[in-house]
Amino acid sequence: MPQPLPSKEQTLFRSLVKHYEGKQYKKGLKAAEQILRKHPNHGDTQAMKALILNSQNQGDEAFTLCKLALKNDMKSHICWHVYGLLWRSVKNYEEAIKAYKFALRIEPNSLNILRDLALLQCQIRDYEGYIESRRKMMQERPQLRQNWTALAVAYHLAGNFAEAENILKTYEETLKQTPPKTDLEHSEATLYKNTIIAESGDTERALKHLDEVVRNSLDRTAALELRAKYLLKLGRSQEAEKAYRTLLDRNSEYRAYFDELEKTLGLSRSNAADIEKLKELYESYANKNERNDAARRIPLDFLKGDAFKTAVDQYLRRKLNKGVPSTFPNIKSLYRDPEKKAVIEELVLGYASDKQTNGSAQGEVNGDTSDRFEQSVLYFLAQHYNYVRSRDLKKANEYIDRLLEKDPKSVDYNQTKARIYKHAGDVQKASETINHARELDERDRYINTKCAKYQLRNNENENALNTMSKFTRNETVGGPLGDLHDMQCMWYLIEDGEAYVRQQKWGLALKRFTAIADIFDVWHEDQFDFHSFSLRKGQIRAYIDMVRWEDHLRDHPFFTRAAVQAVKIYLKLADNPRLSNADQTDLDKLDPVERKKAEKKAKKEREKAEKAEAEKKAAAAAKATAKGDDGETKKEDTDPSGEKLLQTKEPLEAALRFLRPMLELSPLNLEAQIVGFEVHLKREKYLLALKCLQSAQEIEPENPKLHEQSVRFRQAISKLSEPLPSQVSQVIKESFTTPSTDADLEAFNNDFLEKHSQSASHLQSAYNVRYLLDNSSKSQNEEDLKKILDLSDVTIEQAEAGLALLSEWKSDEEVKDDYRAKAASRWSGATVFKK
Amino acid sequence: MAEPQPSSISEGAADPHAPTGTAEDRKAAAALESLDAQEDGGEKKDVDNKALDKAMKGLNVKDKKGEEKKIVKVEAADVALLVAELELSKQKATELLRGNDGDAVKAMAAFVTT
Repeated sequence: MPQPLPSKEQTLFRSLVKHYEGKQYKKGLKAAEQILRKHPNHGDTQAMKALILNSQNQGDEAFTLCKLALKNDMKSHICWHVYGLLWRSVKNYEEAIKAYKFALRIEPNSLNILRDLALLQCQIRDYEGYIESRRKMMQERPQLRQNWTALAVAYHLAGNFAEAENILKTYEETLKQTPPKTDLEHSEATLYKNTIIAESGDTERALKHLDEVVRNSLDRTAALELRAKYLLKLGRSQEAEKAYRTLLDRNSEYRAYFDELEKTLGLSRSNAADIEKLKELYESYANKNERNDAARRIPLDFLKGDAFKTAVDQYLRRKLNKGVPSTFPNIKSLYRDPEKKAVIEELVLGYASDKQTNGSAQGEVNGDTSDRFEQSVLYFLAQHYNYVRSRDLKKANEYIDRLLEKDPKSVDYNQTKARIYKHAGDVQKASETINHARELDERDRYINTKCAKYQLRNNENENALNTMSKFTRNETVGGPLGDLHDMQCMWYLIEDGEAYVRQQKWGLALKRFTAIADIFDVWHEDQFDFHSFSLRKGQIRAYIDMVRWEDHLRDHPFFTRAAVQAVKIYLKLADNPRLSNADQTDLDKLDPVERKKAEKKAKKEREKAEKAEAEKKAAAAAKATAKGDDGETKKEDTDPSGEKLLQTKEPLEAALRFLRPMLELSPLNLEAQIVGFEVHLKREKYLLALKCLQSAQEIEPENPKLHEQSVRFRQAISKLSEPLPSQVSQVIKESFTTPSTDADLEAFNNDFLEKHSQSASHLQSAYNVRYLLDNSSKSQNEEDLKKILDLSDVTIEQAEAGLALLSEWKSDEEVKDDYRAKAASRWSGATVFKK
Repeated sequence: MAEPQPSSISEGAADPHAPTGTAEDRKAAAALESLDAQEDGGEKKDVDNKALDKAMKGLNVKDKKGEEKKIVKVEAADVALLVAELELSKQKATELLRGNDGDAVKAMAAFVTT
């Protein structure tokens, strides 16, 4: 029932609305109170008041009040609209959409409601609904170009290219004259239309259209790039060549242009006959510009033999003469080819011994330059012997020490020294050394950041935060760590979390990885504003790119890395719920009576501590509601150490938050499939586990972990406590064939063992399987595991994995000590094997 | 992108517009809106309203090409099985079954191997 107000209150209500829009919440509340004093059940006023309360972080009160408002005035679109806004603010989009639709039913032509509905539909990718809403909005206000464009965008995103193009065309036809060149919105809209035509697959027409509009488009680069692309696609090589050459004249360092130019010329790097032509092509570009790098560096990728040697010699001398510090990183991708690696090593060693010529190809003599050249060469060699494909840490150390003798205050040299320690496994010394490097230049943010990372690798979480704090805004709520969260400094959060994993501080680790997942949620949330903003600004192409990027947001490597770790912690929790209680893990060893006593005691202590903590918090809350020094308020973190996360009753279900996006968006990540299998097997979702197994099989059929999991899967399904639905077992029977149903698993494992007798990881997996099949083989396995350390190419990481395996088998401390001693004798620097 | 915004317009996560009730409010909101639009050069003087109206009418929703879906009978029990075992939404499970002639074993095998 609409509730009309007397005119005085009507004026008040209008001012209430105005106050809300102007964010003058206090005044707004006052006006609302004034109306409610006379008309306590006025729904619209209550709804507006709820909206203001919600803006003041009183969400619960807002919801209660808004429900009351709806009760008082079911037929008010304002109440329903506010109800939707409240749902939106807590990110429950489905409910919000429902409420908006109710509001629309009462007031079908309200642009505000329509707009809010449309934005939400786009956010949840309900394109059919989005088209409808956008159409209505366009019909309400056809004068606004953005309404037309928006409708086209809706069709485009829904995959209906023809309709999208039609909308844009129809609008263009209503224009009496072509808009002036300065009209950015028009320029963008035409280019947008062009990309729609191209995406519909009609390149021919896209090219024709582009030629018509190119004169009026303000984004020159994009227009040129599109044109070149279309020409190449249509096979009009000569014109395409010209187009790419034009682009290269504008930017001759952009590699993609060179790649495409090669294609237009029909040259192939794998064809020996073409190599000479390619070489000439790049030489012509190199000659055009003395300082151009791309044209000189690219040929090193495809040249071979003597031609490569001459070219790389020239390239290296040039860079080393100039003392370019990034020479090695720029070159190292060539090391994939062992021949090239050998040639480069020989050449640079030659420069080092051959001081007569001072390395300069032209024989230039200049005292200063020669010293620079020598240092560059030594620095190059130090990095060379430190690099994984050409590692010889002893030599690397020699070179870096020589450099440090010359220039002990160099940040770069000290950093490389630290890096060498890191590769030797000595994270302790690495951290000390890089801290020394940092102290040499405290205003260098790069070395500061590196230093924090090395400290985290050495599990010095506090020191690292202290280091980071030199460049963070420390007056933020939560101090430096709070700022790192606000700034979404993901590398730090991940490294911090991984350091906690190594220290078995599961709560804090999980806390950090959850923070990463939260950041991705924020990114997803962030696009909301752009559904309207981009249209207002007319930047449609960038907007479309963004929407598409958001759809596969979580395939980002950072997400995967944090997610794999988080899932692993949840798996541990599922195996051992006691993990959530740090003091209890040690109690396993005590006998039951003593354990009970100890547990009781621990519980009492915990309660005491909790009480003290709560009191402290209450006192702090009374003082200020988590106010930062800069006056900004923020909700207080009630679980700073992640204890609550650990106490989850359903760790496997909680793991799905991390697992699902990974399996959906990064299906080619082997680690994701491996942890996915573990989770689904534990949840007894056998088909899902099998899917992970099959995907892993496709990625790397000989992966050792896959072997372990295949055997365990066969075991699991052969001794189920209750039978699976017949259809499910039929699918498993048909799809899961290795090892076969009646296979002798031990023999199967032995075959695997023999096949990979020289690979540390495979052997470890095979021994683990042998143990799982028959745990009487434990001592044999322990012996064999130790022997792996004798293999010539076993790495520190693999040796560490072996140690972890011993813990899994619950081997005696002696056995572990033995293993550690043996590993330590092989990697004398490595800190992980020290006791 | 550099033109300054009027101070009354906050970009990005602005609070949503208030739902306006009375005719006057609507007028005020419309005025505010058009102000906004002029700032962004949205509404132009040379817009031909007649042409727009005509254009809009010409846009009438075209007959949707009814995609000829194969009529496949899908058992509710099979859908429930797929939802439980593969943790798909009901809609996806139905689609998957439809794509596999309504055969649950075939559908699940296809899901597992791809």
